[in-house]
Amino acid sequence: MRELRPTLDKSLKDVKGTLVRARDPAYREAKHEVEAFNAAYCAVLDDGDLEDWPEFFTEDGFYNIVSRENFDYGLPVGLVYCEGKNMMRDRALAIAKTSMFGPRYLRHYMTNTRISEIGENGMIRAETNYMLIEVLSELPSGRIHQAGRMQDVFETQDDGRLLLKSRVAIYDTLLVHNALVLPV
Amino acid sequence: MTTLPGSSDCPRCQKEMGIEMDWFKTVKASTVLDEGSVATEVDGLRVALWAVDGEIYATGNICTHAFAYLTDGHVENGCVECPLHQGLFDIRSGKALRAPVSKDLATFAVKQEDGYVWIDVNTPGPKSEASPAVTSAIGTDDRTLVVVGAGQAGAETVIALRKLGFGGRIVMVGAEPHPPYERPSLSKGLLLGKRKLEDALVFEPDQAEELMLDLKLGATVVAIETEDKTITLEGGESLAYDILILATGARPRELECTGSDNTEIHYLRDLGDAERLGGALRNAGKVAIVGGGFIGLELASAARKLGAEVTVIEAQSRLMTRLLPAGPANHLADIARENGVEIELDAHIINVSDKGVGLSDGRVIEADCIIAGIGAVPNDDLAGPAGIRTAERGGIIVDMVSRTNLPGVYAVGDVAVRQDHSDGPMLRMESWQNARLSAERAARHITKLNPGAEDDPWFWSDLFDITVQIFGHVNADMPVVRRDGEEAPVFMAQDAIGRVRCVIDFGDPSALREAKTLMADGQPLAADGSGARNSEEDDMKHQPIESRFVWPTDGLVSVPDWVYTDKEIYDREVERIFHGRTWNYVGLECEVPSPGDFIRSYVGPTPVVVSRDEDGEVHVFENRCSHRAAEFCRELRGNASEFVCPYHEWSYDLKGNLAGVPFRRGANGAGGMPTDFNPADHGLCKLNVARRGGVVFASYSDDVESFEDYLGDEMLKDYDAVFSGRKLKLLGHYRHTIMGNWKLYPENLKDPYHATLLHTFLVTFGLLVAGNKSAMICDPKGRHSTMASAKSDKAVSEDNKKEMRAYRDGMSLSDKRLMDFVPEFDSPWSVTMQVVWPNLIVQREMNTLGVRQIVPNGPNEFTMIWTMFGYEDDDDEMTRHRLRQGNLMGPAGYLGIEDNEAIKFVQDGMLNSTPARHTVQLDPDVPAGTSETLISEAAIRALYQHWREEMGL
Repeated sequence: MRELRPTLDKSLKDVKGTLVRARDPAYREAKHEVEAFNAAYCAVLDDGDLEDWPEFFTEDGFYNIVSRENFDYGLPVGLVYCEGKNMMRDRALAIAKTSMFGPRYLRHYMTNTRISEIGENGMIRAETNYMLIEVLSELPSGRIHQAGRMQDVFETQDDGRLLLKSRVAIYDTLLVHNALVLPV
Repeated sequence: MTTLPGSSDCPRCQKEMGIEMDWFKTVKASTVLDEGSVATEVDGLRVALWAVDGEIYATGNICTHAFAYLTDGHVENGCVECPLHQGLFDIRSGKALRAPVSKDLATFAVKQEDGYVWIDVNTPGPKSEASPAVTSAIGTDDRTLVVVGAGQAGAETVIALRKLGFGGRIVMVGAEPHPPYERPSLSKGLLLGKRKLEDALVFEPDQAEELMLDLKLGATVVAIETEDKTITLEGGESLAYDILILATGARPRELECTGSDNTEIHYLRDLGDAERLGGALRNAGKVAIVGGGFIGLELASAARKLGAEVTVIEAQSRLMTRLLPAGPANHLADIARENGVEIELDAHIINVSDKGVGLSDGRVIEADCIIAGIGAVPNDDLAGPAGIRTAERGGIIVDMVSRTNLPGVYAVGDVAVRQDHSDGPMLRMESWQNARLSAERAARHITKLNPGAEDDPWFWSDLFDITVQIFGHVNADMPVVRRDGEEAPVFMAQDAIGRVRCVIDFGDPSALREAKTLMADGQPLAADGSGARNSEEDDMKHQPIESRFVWPTDGLVSVPDWVYTDKEIYDREVERIFHGRTWNYVGLECEVPSPGDFIRSYVGPTPVVVSRDEDGEVHVFENRCSHRAAEFCRELRGNASEFVCPYHEWSYDLKGNLAGVPFRRGANGAGGMPTDFNPADHGLCKLNVARRGGVVFASYSDDVESFEDYLGDEMLKDYDAVFSGRKLKLLGHYRHTIMGNWKLYPENLKDPYHATLLHTFLVTFGLLVAGNKSAMICDPKGRHSTMASAKSDKAVSEDNKKEMRAYRDGMSLSDKRLMDFVPEFDSPWSVTMQVVWPNLIVQREMNTLGVRQIVPNGPNEFTMIWTMFGYEDDDDEMTRHRLRQGNLMGPAGYLGIEDNEAIKFVQDGMLNSTPARHTVQLDPDVPAGTSETLISEAAIRALYQHWREEMGL
């Protein structure tokens, strides 16, 4: 079973190793793949097509949106907490079909991708900054809804595709504006 | 005013359009148009002709309430006000618009020919609407309603019930042999023989039959069996009821002193009394009246009219010490004296005898007729043994809709003591108006209508040929302004901020109208007692808040926008609620488990620090350095041995005491604090702390009750189910802003109506089904509440589905674990959402637990801080279960999103549209408080009942 406390990324403490790995062709390749993955991921969410969102995860995938405050103190509570792709399907269904919320546009940006580890069987550990812009009918100029970073674990499938085994979104913007209706 | 004799030269009996018409020629049309109103007499009828907007109308000219010519009254906006008691009629339709008049005026058809006004006394005017047939509903309801007591209040209840469409059987039981009559004239016209009983009857001829009222007169009720819902009559007959109205009235308090047993003392309560007393007064030479209240003075007036010498004996140092301020009371005494009445004040009665009344100073007030008018005792004897709650000082306790403590049992009129909520003040009123209004409130409740607007109290007395009227709430201590009208003075009693709360009038209609305008205006009078507050520069801002924010007259069923949007109201909430006599949530003990641990928190909008000292005690103090106000604690949480303000390094211990002031003694003998600077006086602003079950509360108030008393037994039960003593384990926080007024959040949790309508998720996946076991429970004050439901496996019925537009069938969860409920609480409920006023919501949504702290940021926005927790003895799987179920709640929760959005929409609506009112009328059965049904807004009304008291608005 997964540890409740998200672990800190040890590679942050290894600047030299990080810079060396950045030049490693395998890491460059992995970074490229992760970026392509995230571009597709953002496009699906930005499009509002929530029911496709679980398809980025393995069946046993884990997803959590946790505040930096909770993360830093080792507290597990997240805005969204999904154990397994079924819970993600349920969230997609519930939000898409039953939830009432005002119309909005969301735009996701994911940058500063770092590959911290490439493991056995195509496991990739990556960290990426993210920003979410929210545009509401009463706020057409938009605003930053969330800024933070993703801690991801990818699993390479038999056909070569990456899927998320775990994605923990850690947001710095502690005070959520009103509500967070879609995943990040 | 021109009075023309009627009809000697009038041709009669014309046939027009096949209808029998009786046209009479009256006066010149130009006379009516010029004078506005003309009194005339036609075929023995006293008729008033009116000109309204160039049209001429004809009505009866005698007020339907008491004998007065309406043409002597004030006409405005097509209505005439009776000169005697200010009843109001619509001239066009004859409709009775304002108490004390309740019967409509007759109207007559009018035509103009040859410059004269002709009227037809047999044909009503064209605008007269036939009142709807009240009997059409009778038989549609198989309930039986029994009224005990056949006085005015009982009869008014019956009339109101039928008018409002009550279709059940109605039985009225009365001890007197007479049909219901109004009692005011017992001491006036009836006593003097000027009026007959028929003039005072409540029912019009044949009305009892029209109302299908089963009237049992001369019958006395000896017992009420509330278990069997029957009453027993003297003689053994028993009557079953579904609804019971107690209208048993009051009886005169008896004079008890030496000789009172064998001396004839007159009292006045019923027709028999009036007849006996009338006879006695006619033969009396000297009359002694014990008691200088209105009854005493009215009887003094009647006795003087009959030529007797009259002495009024009053034990107090002036008249009506409890009822009226000195000014109007002394004016009344002066009127009595001018009319030849002797008034003995400070007079203590030692004995009564055939000779008269003996006083403590040795004098004897000689009298051949002794009358006592020393108050009334409510006839509540039937209530106590039946389990109906009575007041210590007598009377049956009822709420704002005349309900007693037992379901289906009401009390109206003189016997009822009104108490709007469990610890509110009690008020018993003996007046014609109260008989009527309390009856109407009961009838409205029985027919499931809103309580309706609350009328100010009104009372009148006719004595010494003047009419004294009291409008509004008055007590003896109110400051009074006197205005002298042309004919008589009017007194205006003011509240603490100078608003006119009561008008006491001695018969000057124009002065009265002006005074009532000032009262309705709601503005404080100027210091000189004038109402001149309307100049340009005297801008609204100088008026006290109570005058500018006036709650709608229809009571709790509407809430004005300013409650949610106004900055001044918000500031007063901070002062009176968050900083007032309340306990405010500040944190969980598991957030500060060890000495030196601290967290930042808030009481209302005010930042505080929660700290645990070396002895394990928890302290709460303002996050404001006592030196230069810096908000010194910036970390969300941490551990410290002391708090140091970064600006000048003043330091405080963990209890909030000032520990160190750098350079307090100066440097090199220069500078520093004054020698008398005492650090003990400069600690942080400390709040009182209460803890229960691992939760910390703080209060600015030193005289707030204990937390347990604050919450009350019923609320503690739900609270303790969550905070049972099991050690809490912190799981994390959410923080978010909601663009709405902070009260919309507690309201949301006092609004069970929205749950199945807004939260489709709950319904779709079977968490909440309309009709499953649930409750909306309020504490007696209306501030705290629990919304509770028990999980049901029942599917949604087809009928309920149709009601819930958002219902989506055929969906189910892929991961059912979200809905698992692991029983772990001592409670019949699987879900409780508890509001602990003012800033805490305790969430127990099956197994996901949290507290939500409201931090207001002005009227239009608040921050919500959620602290989610489990218990220390949870295993990993239980913790994960709580986290999984957490998807329901929070800023991204299936339900949380929707509530946040809805609250924002509400505030947007108020901020962007025309200011108006919210409608919270659902479930008139429960005016305010705990309701049996979820289709109810009774808990919201209860909240605003409390809020208004706290806010003084």
